[in-house]
Amino acid sequence: MTDNSRLTPRAAMTRRDFLIKTGSLTLVGYLALGRPAWANGPGLPSAGEFGELVATDTGGIDLYLEERDLLVGGQPGRAITINGSFPGPTIHMREGAEAVIRVHNRLAESTSIHWHGVLLPFDMDGVPGISFAGIPAGDTFTYRFPVRQNGTYWYHSHSAFQEQRGHYGQLIIEPAKPDHIDYDVEYSVVLSDWTFTAPHTVFRKLKTIEGYFNFQRPTLANIDNQMQATGMTLEEVIAKRLAWQRMRMDPTDIADVTGATYSFLMNGKTTEENPTFIAKPGQRVRLRIVNASAQTYYDVRIPGLPMTVVQADGQNIKPVETDEFRIAVAETYDVIVTMPDDQAYTLFAEAMDRSGATRGTLAPQLGMSAAIPELRRRPMLTMADMGMMGGGMKSMEGGNQNKHASKDSQTSPRSGNELPTENLVERIKHGPDEHGSASITMAQTAYRRLDYPGAGLGDDDWRVLTYSQLRALERPALRRPPTREFDLHLTGNMHKFIWGFDGKKWSESDMIRFQHGERLRINMINDTMMSHPIHLHGMWMDLYAGGDLDTNPRKHTVNVQPAELLTVDITADAPGQWAFHCHLLYHMEAGMFRTVAVVRSLDGGSIDADA
Amino acid sequence: MLTPNLRLLAMIAMTVVLVPSAAHAQNKHDMSDMPSTANRPDHQHSAQQHEGTPPPDLEIPPLPAGMTLEEVFDYSNSEPPSDFPDPVPDDQLFAFALFDQLEYRVPDDDDARDRLGWEAEGWIGGDINKFWWKSEGEAIFEGTDEGESENDFLYSRLITPFWNVQTGVQYANEWITNDDYNDRWSYVLGLQGMAPYQFELDNSLYVSEDGDVTFETEGEYDVRITQRLVLQPRVGLTFSAQTISERNLGSGLTEADFDLRLRYEIKRELAPYVGLRYHSLVGETENIAEAAGERTEQWLFLAGLRLAF
Repeated sequence: MTDNSRLTPRAAMTRRDFLIKTGSLTLVGYLALGRPAWANGPGLPSAGEFGELVATDTGGIDLYLEERDLLVGGQPGRAITINGSFPGPTIHMREGAEAVIRVHNRLAESTSIHWHGVLLPFDMDGVPGISFAGIPAGDTFTYRFPVRQNGTYWYHSHSAFQEQRGHYGQLIIEPAKPDHIDYDVEYSVVLSDWTFTAPHTVFRKLKTIEGYFNFQRPTLANIDNQMQATGMTLEEVIAKRLAWQRMRMDPTDIADVTGATYSFLMNGKTTEENPTFIAKPGQRVRLRIVNASAQTYYDVRIPGLPMTVVQADGQNIKPVETDEFRIAVAETYDVIVTMPDDQAYTLFAEAMDRSGATRGTLAPQLGMSAAIPELRRRPMLTMADMGMMGGGMKSMEGGNQNKHASKDSQTSPRSGNELPTENLVERIKHGPDEHGSASITMAQTAYRRLDYPGAGLGDDDWRVLTYSQLRALERPALRRPPTREFDLHLTGNMHKFIWGFDGKKWSESDMIRFQHGERLRINMINDTMMSHPIHLHGMWMDLYAGGDLDTNPRKHTVNVQPAELLTVDITADAPGQWAFHCHLLYHMEAGMFRTVAVVRSLDGGSIDADA
Repeated sequence: MLTPNLRLLAMIAMTVVLVPSAAHAQNKHDMSDMPSTANRPDHQHSAQQHEGTPPPDLEIPPLPAGMTLEEVFDYSNSEPPSDFPDPVPDDQLFAFALFDQLEYRVPDDDDARDRLGWEAEGWIGGDINKFWWKSEGEAIFEGTDEGESENDFLYSRLITPFWNVQTGVQYANEWITNDDYNDRWSYVLGLQGMAPYQFELDNSLYVSEDGDVTFETEGEYDVRITQRLVLQPRVGLTFSAQTISERNLGSGLTEADFDLRLRYEIKRELAPYVGLRYHSLVGETENIAEAAGERTEQWLFLAGLRLAF
């Protein structure tokens, strides 16, 4: 196969003219690939040969969904491809225009495309069972919606486990006004995870054998390693391990699905395939990074090059320079790096549990590479992940201790007045656990962790981005103090792989109702020991990142860390029904999902989501 | 801003993708301007009437084509249409089976014969409610056929995050060739799950069709030596609430097993192992056996496979 993956042609063009060139080229390219390559000879095409399309061009675009055998990291695998490869083509849109996308389902099963982070009419949101019935096998569905925003987003299937099989791609919306971000070349960086095992089988393993994919557990053999890494004595290590065992928890339970089955991919390529991004000395490079993984959080860095983060979830933020950031599943970050010389630099994305990594190379020409960093030691959860902070933590025990006591708080306004928007309570105590057997609540206290970079980060001698550094560049529209709030507990039984909100799965729950036009606050409380990327469809979540009303960032996906109390404010401006869920694919499919109904009035009864 | 080199490189890259269709592609190479960029995004619905009273700072909401705001509100307030699938299949049933022991047992005394032993369980069901089966037993194949088994068929409910309550029936049997076959049914009430410190416990109370009450408890613990090498100590104790002469049981603790198995997980579902068992009759039961001139304790060497499906 051709290797040293070709760069995307976008590098060589200005932002304005590449759209025209590459968009229509890609479609033609796809048609050229239309003859199944594997039918002709031994060589299968490799994953990651994707092009670009412009969905706001006259006539719109066509996406063809097909199952194909592709080489993933050199091994043949059966993937769901969009226009011949995965990831699918990078789709461009122009803010203010109308996007038209015809999706042709050539799969043997129903499918869908969700435009992740895009504000649109609910029937265009692409969630089977909520927005529409799905796209049956053999059918064509036309998405058509006005583009009301700009930035870096992505798209993916919302049907069963198709996302795990390659059904995703990047979405870039060009701003109507000139982009304030200054750069010379730009690249799509789509991070993802791939398994040669059928996702249903992966799910079944998770449901039936605890820790199936974790081969980094505490063992007798790695006691010595733990002593050396932590400086603890043998007695301390044993005492600590016994404390975890007493709680029936595994401190190495960082990721449910790991490198034991996953290949970690950047633009569909593995480390060995080395996707390369060309940039000349002095050029400012914009990397549009999306985490399209089913389950994998990545820690991203470019050893030797500082990165300036300019966008988060497609929203401009005040530029912040950093050396590393954790990207939760479904988040996007845009970073600018300046090539200082004609050397190669490694763009390194390490899985959060350190069970593997993927990399690409930033270099002035093809065929170059730089040193690949070693995987760091896998992190272990700490007592802080159970809400037990050391003495150093500033305590602001507030009057919020029995928040949890209010039953059905979703419909009972806690306050008719405006709620505070700054200096929110730092921590709340967990009330009596009423979540039942579907929830193992470890944290007795949930607290703000906006300054915490996450398990396994922050101990190196470099800067790591945290949510507290995210500040909106401009005050977004529709900002005002919320007038209603409720608590939402992120719950799970890690032992049995049951996931939900407030101890309930989607099929057991009623819809969460938002009143149209209201400004609503949700306090998310993570009762579990895992991080969850929580995604709301159709509306922004204004993340309380410790700032004020003007500068807290807008997000479509927020990462809620273990034992974290994380607050978002929402303007319920999109009538219809929407999905709200954990974006870890296997958590979502297990039921960590709710239907949100944006209704005229909160009067009236609850709505059964599973009719 | 862009060097000729870069442009050339990109053209080459494109050519690689598009060689067969390069000619086609040329036609599309006009560099016309982007579509006009109306700043008002919502032209499609600009004629939208507002029947409700959206707060002053709300933009015109995004509405499906052909639907009014009121129609959307009516839709929002309804259950999903009947032809919609579930957005997530979170109430699927799963099935699982684990042969924790499937082993050849070699007693330490020469008179005793080798035997095949098993302990297995499995379930089919959802997250909370399951049908659960368990089976354990021994069979001797050299010389006269001989064996015994206990088979539980249970409804299981996860009542707390770590504990299942189980209830159902047990069918137990024992045989010496086909001439001597005994069986009995019992009612079962069980509590199975994981105790603090990650001990797996399985406790079952049996009331037989004759009204005899017995109780079994088993505990096991995995000591991970490496990621795949696991040492598993296990204890099994049996109690009887009364003397059951036809089963040669006295009242009180009747027998105890202490096992140690060392397995290697080739896969999580496939682990060969070797082990040792110390088996002993206890108390009145021991006395009954002694009086009959039988051995009351035994060491067994074990070798087998741990299998999951």
